Amino acid sequence: MKNIALWVVLLPALLLGPAAARADQEMPIFDAHLHYSHDAWEVVPPQGFIEILRKANIRRALVSSSNNEGTRMLQDVAPLMIVPELRPYRSRGELATWARDPTVIPFVEGLLSRRKYVAIGEFHIYGADADLPNMRRIVELARQHGLFLHSHSDSAAVDRHFEQDPNARVLWAHSGFERPENVRAMLRKYPTLWCDLAFLTAHASNGRVTPGWREAFLEFPDRFLVGTDTFTPERLHYIAEHARWSRQWLSDLPRDVAEKIAFRNGERLFGGPPQ
Amino acid sequence: MKRLLLILSLVVVSGLARGEAALDWTADEVRAVGSHGPWPPAPVRDPSNRISGSPAAAALGRHLFEEPRLSSRQVTCGDCHVAGRDWRDGRARGLGKVELDRRTPSLWNVGYQRWFGWDGAADSLWMQSLRPLLDVREMAGSAPAIARLLREDTALACGYERAFGERPGADDEKLLVDGAKALAAFQQTLVTPRTPFDDFRDALVAGDRAAALRYPVTAQRGLKLFVGRGNCATCHFGPLFTNGEFGDTGIPFFVRPGEVDSGRYGGIARLKASPYNRLGRYSDDVSGVTSTRTRHVEAQHRNFGEFRVPGLRQIGRTGPYMHDGSLATLEDVVKHYSTVSLDRLHSDGVPLVRPLGLTTEESADLLAFLRTLDADTPELPPPPPLCP
Repeated sequence: MKNIALWVVLLPALLLGPAAARADQEMPIFDAHLHYSHDAWEVVPPQGFIEILRKANIRRALVSSSNNEGTRMLQDVAPLMIVPELRPYRSRGELATWARDPTVIPFVEGLLSRRKYVAIGEFHIYGADADLPNMRRIVELARQHGLFLHSHSDSAAVDRHFEQDPNARVLWAHSGFERPENVRAMLRKYPTLWCDLAFLTAHASNGRVTPGWREAFLEFPDRFLVGTDTFTPERLHYIAEHARWSRQWLSDLPRDVAEKIAFRNGERLFGGPPQ
Repeated sequence: MKRLLLILSLVVVSGLARGEAALDWTADEVRAVGSHGPWPPAPVRDPSNRISGSPAAAALGRHLFEEPRLSSRQVTCGDCHVAGRDWRDGRARGLGKVELDRRTPSLWNVGYQRWFGWDGAADSLWMQSLRPLLDVREMAGSAPAIARLLREDTALACGYERAFGERPGADDEKLLVDGAKALAAFQQTLVTPRTPFDDFRDALVAGDRAAALRYPVTAQRGLKLFVGRGNCATCHFGPLFTNGEFGDTGIPFFVRPGEVDSGRYGGIARLKASPYNRLGRYSDDVSGVTSTRTRHVEAQHRNFGEFRVPGLRQIGRTGPYMHDGSLATLEDVVKHYSTVSLDRLHSDGVPLVRPLGLTTEESADLLAFLRTLDADTPELPPPPPLCP
């Protein structure tokens, strides 16, 4: 009798387990944090990059590249998969200098006059530097052109973005590397703040969502997106592994929440694939 | 008044005549330098290896280290870890049946490590020793062949009995692991001698001005850079000059078009999946205390492309450098850290690695210091017979 009871419990899991696992593997991903920069094009040509996305079942991706040529090349190859983001850097190493560089704004304005973008970023800015003229101008340009700000920053800089434009739409890169309770506080404070989870591992352990982050995802299921962060060319070969890892921990959440974080939030904010 | 004193701060006239001087060393600097010693540390004992520290086991391991019959290709451990060449081969990338993707590391002080291999895919030295034994690109050995050798070769069987206190048994897999444990016991004896740095470190800590003066002033300036502005000691700390962990130092890790060496990320996966890790049945640590790290280690995104922080003892003699031998000389290594591209580094928090922007003189000083971590090593005499 004990054995029968055990089978009653186990059988559905045995039957459904592989199917559930397959379904998770098939869950599409919107990757909100990809770079395809100047040092990546030769080692992974645009078509190769798109193949990597397709194999990982990444349906669409928010892509930026230092100096933006990479994004253009990818759009040429797969315009429906690539959501273009304008990066205010000509080389990735400018992340520490761009905010005080007088040549950056003309570079950004030139690009905006020639091509359509959905966001400006990912840029790096911290604390009071978010009040520097370059950063203020970027916020202004985002407002004028209806663009998201993709900000790799601390919460002090995010506060300043919203002081400068209360209607700004900000995608907070890496969720600011903040603790989940601080992320929740920021999300409560700013209704047009979204968070990407790129390069974070604290929210998942051995395929399970960790306490603190679980509450954040359940309170704000519409405000999180996954992302890989391909900050060196080698990391393009991490995209598929990252997608696998993401699907694993997402499967520990209610299905509707998991789908929102995996792709529905990205497609709602930045547009989905053609139906 | 943080500046420490004057035990060592005065330039000594007689020393000057010989070009010797002692720099000012603050209390913080003395503490930092002191943390790189004393040397040598106590001999290592690995609870997961029941014959660790046994002279009979080291003797068996020494014989096995030079034993071509462990390999179906008739190569030995010592063909790549060459005794007279600081236990490495001096090549940029190891050469087995084919050229490998990583450099052959020196075995000096290997027994003190926490993780083994460039990717930390092994959590014990005996587990690490199994990898080249079985890897088809390297020694291409097998459990049945190695077990048969230990059982049927009279001298090795006798050496086994002396090391393990029993005759080689019938379990091939167990004998394979025991062979690796003997190899580990031998490698644990490979400890570098004291160096000019160690003498200076002890003199500085003891306030022995006369002894400290024997250390070149260029090396002292380099040491100040190492523990100070260079931030080198953050990763290269302690007597071994390594934190025993892994880092991304801005070295590309493509191994060929379309393929990368995932480093620590893949290493953790291999460690977890292996039956030979400290959680498995071959570990002799019945308390389980030494398996805690293995139980809890978990891959993080940053581990992708991270490689082990090597110790720096004998560094001037063990080039080429980095996990893939991509930097030929120690000068190249210093130049790399002086000019490392921010393009390659993630900006999460305060990066440990950043371009140091060293002047020519500073680079020379740092090199002078690093070369004082080298010591002349006595030639290893041929091993005595296992059972005379």
